[in-house]
Amino acid sequence: MSSVAPAMRHVRGFDVARPLSIGVLVFLMLPLVFLPLASIFIFGTSNGLDKFWAALTAPEAIFALKLSMATSFWATVFNVIFGLFAAYVLSRYNFWGRNALIVTISLPTAIPTAVAGFALLLLWGPYGTLGRLLTPHGFQIMFTAGAIILANIFVTFPLAFGVIKPVFDTMSHSLEEASATIGATRWQTFWHVTLPSLRGAIVSGALLTFARAVGEFGSTILVSGNLAGRTQTAPLYIFAKFNEGQIEAANAIAIVLALFSFLIFSVLFFARDWLDVD
Amino acid sequence: MKAKETFIPKREEPEPTRPTAAASVVGLSKRFGKASILENISFDVAEGEVLVLLGASGSGKTTILRIIAGLEMPYTGKVILHGRDVTELPARERGVGVIFQSYALFPKMTVEKNIGYGLRIRKRKRKQIRETVNELLSLVQLEEHRKKYPSQLSGGQQQRVAIARTLAYKPEVLLFDEPFGALDTQTRVHLRREIRALLKKVNVPSIFITHDQEEALELGDRVAVLNVGHIEQIGTPFEIYNYPATEYVATFLGAANVLEAVVRGDFLEVGSARIPATLDQEKFREGDCVNIVFRPEDVSLSRGDLPRSTHPRLSSARIEEIAFVGAYERLRLRVDASDECKTDETPFYLTTETPDRKPTKSIIATRPKPEASSMRLHVGEKVSVALTSFTVLPQKGTKG
Repeated sequence: MSSVAPAMRHVRGFDVARPLSIGVLVFLMLPLVFLPLASIFIFGTSNGLDKFWAALTAPEAIFALKLSMATSFWATVFNVIFGLFAAYVLSRYNFWGRNALIVTISLPTAIPTAVAGFALLLLWGPYGTLGRLLTPHGFQIMFTAGAIILANIFVTFPLAFGVIKPVFDTMSHSLEEASATIGATRWQTFWHVTLPSLRGAIVSGALLTFARAVGEFGSTILVSGNLAGRTQTAPLYIFAKFNEGQIEAANAIAIVLALFSFLIFSVLFFARDWLDVD
Repeated sequence: MKAKETFIPKREEPEPTRPTAAASVVGLSKRFGKASILENISFDVAEGEVLVLLGASGSGKTTILRIIAGLEMPYTGKVILHGRDVTELPARERGVGVIFQSYALFPKMTVEKNIGYGLRIRKRKRKQIRETVNELLSLVQLEEHRKKYPSQLSGGQQQRVAIARTLAYKPEVLLFDEPFGALDTQTRVHLRREIRALLKKVNVPSIFITHDQEEALELGDRVAVLNVGHIEQIGTPFEIYNYPATEYVATFLGAANVLEAVVRGDFLEVGSARIPATLDQEKFREGDCVNIVFRPEDVSLSRGDLPRSTHPRLSSARIEEIAFVGAYERLRLRVDASDECKTDETPFYLTTETPDRKPTKSIIATRPKPEASSMRLHVGEKVSVALTSFTVLPQKGTKG
């Protein structure tokens, strides 16, 4: 009985922990992420590509996709410009209540989207605080595409701001001072010096906002009225078709949305270098 | 030729000619809340002159620079550039070139875009911009780097781009904020020679700020020494090194020994030694306590009691320490000190005073290598000490 075990054989450069941990990671992600995503594609195309194509090109489906893109686009435009402005003000000036404003801007990330939609209804709806006064004059923004944009703006409010503000914070103040001493106006400085340094942050902030807005469901279903062909966005269409039992129709749109987010995040990931450097 | 309170043969120096002030500040002061940062700062910079503001951190030198640039407002006082009062003008209308410590090059612009920026925002013609940029690129010798981005350049190259960028719009004055702070010693020495040559070539009046006394002496046509918000002395490097006006200037610029002395007629009494000195009767009165300030290299040592020269002598001294510091030898000596001047400012532990012993004080002397090897001295040896030059300053607290 030997108490001294022979030393474990050592294969040069081979670390067991490496393949093992990678394997565990992939295995854990399998039921959580990969399989759900894969099943969309497997199911969607199981009845043949003709059926898939027919489901995709149904007028209501096309409309829902277009509406989603359009409302998300305008919400993104607004939130990027607003986020840029807010980041500039909150990073350049110190004033009473500054931190309160920063927290308020960031709040929508923490609020359940259904609550956000409900809040908008309580403000603008026919019986809402403002809506009650405006409705008699023929102004009702709820249950229109405008309401969807409002909801999108609300839930994606902090995203672009959150990406742009840290870049502003770390940007050296002396660049802007140098530009001023060289003779540039504030606007010239912003346009030629500040903005180019923010390009990466602006593009990634915009992509994040857009991706998030396209997928928005909770608030949209409350404020839009979910009228097919009028105020029904792509996620609402999926939900409606699923409820009606038209799984193929729902699935076709789901595939498009999944591919779309995949595309956006690939751009964000692989274009990172391009976004930062010229 | 002797200056009244200074006892070294004065080198005949041509008076720098200053026809008109290119830039001047008059009575600048600055406060942050109740704290006073600057008090009554006034100076002129002549056409083509390099003025160095030398001071420790917190002396207010950066604030002066930022006020001239228009990045900060003074509490009182005026900034005048070529006869024009610009105190109320914003930075962009002053036409001042600032070379920031970090260079502040625009990271998303190439070297040529950076240099042309000042002309582009002035809406100059493309052809003119191209010509100016080409001229400046060859002036700062960066032609082959024109398409590069700042992050691809070395510190020295970035600095040259920063200078070219300001020269492009023909600034009234160039302001350098600790321009060599971020560089290693070798590059720093090399660059400051390069920049001095460049500045003499373009002949633009310049103000440097630095805390490095060697840099100040080498770069400046004149140097202003700042101490907690006021100017202690302003003069040529030769003047401020050899004729320091205050103890602060003497000790800030290189090493200086300070000994207390009492005025006795035409002599100064330092312990047992009497040094002949003709003093300004207005400034110094019989029995006044004064400070004698001298540099380590102004101490001449000889063995035993024999004076080696006709220079005024202190008491003989005992060598306490000898160290070799490369180019020269540094000795610490203990000499007799005066005990009549009891100032609260000298902490008791700096002078060895015991009731039964005469007061003494240690001074530092340096000897060049040849002298150190021709006359070897040893610790504990007694030597006689003479001063080849020294300055007499009134003591703080006594009216001057």
